Amino acid sequence: MAFTEFHYQVRGRGHTAEGVHVQDRTAYKHHRGVQVICLADGAGSATHAEYGAQTVVDTGCSLLIDRFDEFTTGDDAAGAREAIIGTLLAELEDTARRVGCDVADLASTFLAVATSTDRFVVAHVGDGVIGYIKNDEMKVASAPDNAEFANETTFVTSTGAAASLRLFRGSLEGVTGFILMSDGASASLFDQQTRKLAPACAKLIAIAATAPARQSKNPEYKKRLKRVVDTQVRPATKDDCAIGILARR
Amino acid sequence: MALKIGADDLVENPTPRVPVSLCIDTSGSMLGDKIRELIEGVNLFYDAIDEDDDAHDAAEVSIVEFNSAATLIQDYASIERLERIETVDPSGLTFLGEGVNLALDTLEKRKSVYSGSGVLYYQPWLVLMTDGQPNGDPDELERAIQRVTELVAAKKLTVFPIGIGGDADMAVLARFSPNRPPLRLQGLKFKEFFEWLSKSVSRVSRSTPGDTVKLDLEGLAGWAEL
Repeated sequence: MAFTEFHYQVRGRGHTAEGVHVQDRTAYKHHRGVQVICLADGAGSATHAEYGAQTVVDTGCSLLIDRFDEFTTGDDAAGAREAIIGTLLAELEDTARRVGCDVADLASTFLAVATSTDRFVVAHVGDGVIGYIKNDEMKVASAPDNAEFANETTFVTSTGAAASLRLFRGSLEGVTGFILMSDGASASLFDQQTRKLAPACAKLIAIAATAPARQSKNPEYKKRLKRVVDTQVRPATKDDCAIGILARR
Repeated sequence: MALKIGADDLVENPTPRVPVSLCIDTSGSMLGDKIRELIEGVNLFYDAIDEDDDAHDAAEVSIVEFNSAATLIQDYASIERLERIETVDPSGLTFLGEGVNLALDTLEKRKSVYSGSGVLYYQPWLVLMTDGQPNGDPDELERAIQRVTELVAAKKLTVFPIGIGGDADMAVLARFSPNRPPLRLQGLKFKEFFEWLSKSVSRVSRSTPGDTVKLDLEGLAGWAEL
């Protein structure tokens, strides 16, 4: 059974106050039976982070569709990591040329989940969280990769990004949903101390799973999820907030 | 499952902390206007932190004094728990190395508490203020210099060595800060310094991953000589 999707980003209160664009980006794509959802959190220090984040989510979606079989069945994990970062960097170089900046000015994190009929792949560079529900139990697939300090993490453009990319794959049996969140959204959806997802994550996934079979352009469940992000997740942080969800009953 | 999301469904993570260690000289030479202005400056620093929405929740301050000994007079605490300083009686010698080592030990303990309780934190700051020449155990001084410079080189600590008055040993202070020269306070402009410090702490507390927090060097002009 295919997943319904939801992805959304909203400008943080800090960026609103400073007149800065939202630097989080999300994207969803499905093709040839593969569904992919990606999220990127643009680095505050990067002058064109929003362009970088957009490039990363668009490229990530296409890449994971094109090479899903290879990533779910291949034995060369190091090669897969290099391929993902290499592809993202190649597109970022192209974006940098078009925008007229350095690749470092496009720095962002990268979070992705790809699924097909029975397998999934998770890829993650930097902070933010990827969680999932399996047999009705919430689990963390990939926790934030912060260095010692709160304002440090790894970006796609960082040296050693490929080595720090966390790549997981597995069976979809018993899996009813995935949730991806940026650092800002994790302020209220991920417990830093226990390293567990907030109970709200299960409810957000459940709301997404209520999607009717017949889709409208802006269905009720998406409006509802956006309201939750706008009114309950965003106020808990000054940072931008982004969420991506894949859900099924 | 009820799909209404309430406050209990969300988590409230603690605000990431900015640990600030004030390591201050309270030797006999600080007697008089210097210590009075310093105390006023520290209390003004507390007030400024209290009034700043971002720094209020993030800043944690500790104070180590050094004279003929080193003493922790304020362990790390948020602004709500910081006790305003009433008086300090300067006396004795200038055990600067011992003071810095105690400040670093206290910082390491605090970082362990943060890590153990899931509290994120920013790069700690060490403010070292003295008006004289160190005359404690030379080995302790060398150990303090080595510890600080190693932490600074590893980007694990930001250090501000501040000389007070014309007798401060700027050469020794310079050894604590290989990347940036120590600053000599203009007159007794402690208030201006601590006002600058509170604004800088606020900037750090607003930073997010990837932010490079640049010090407001122009702001130094009001209170320091490079």
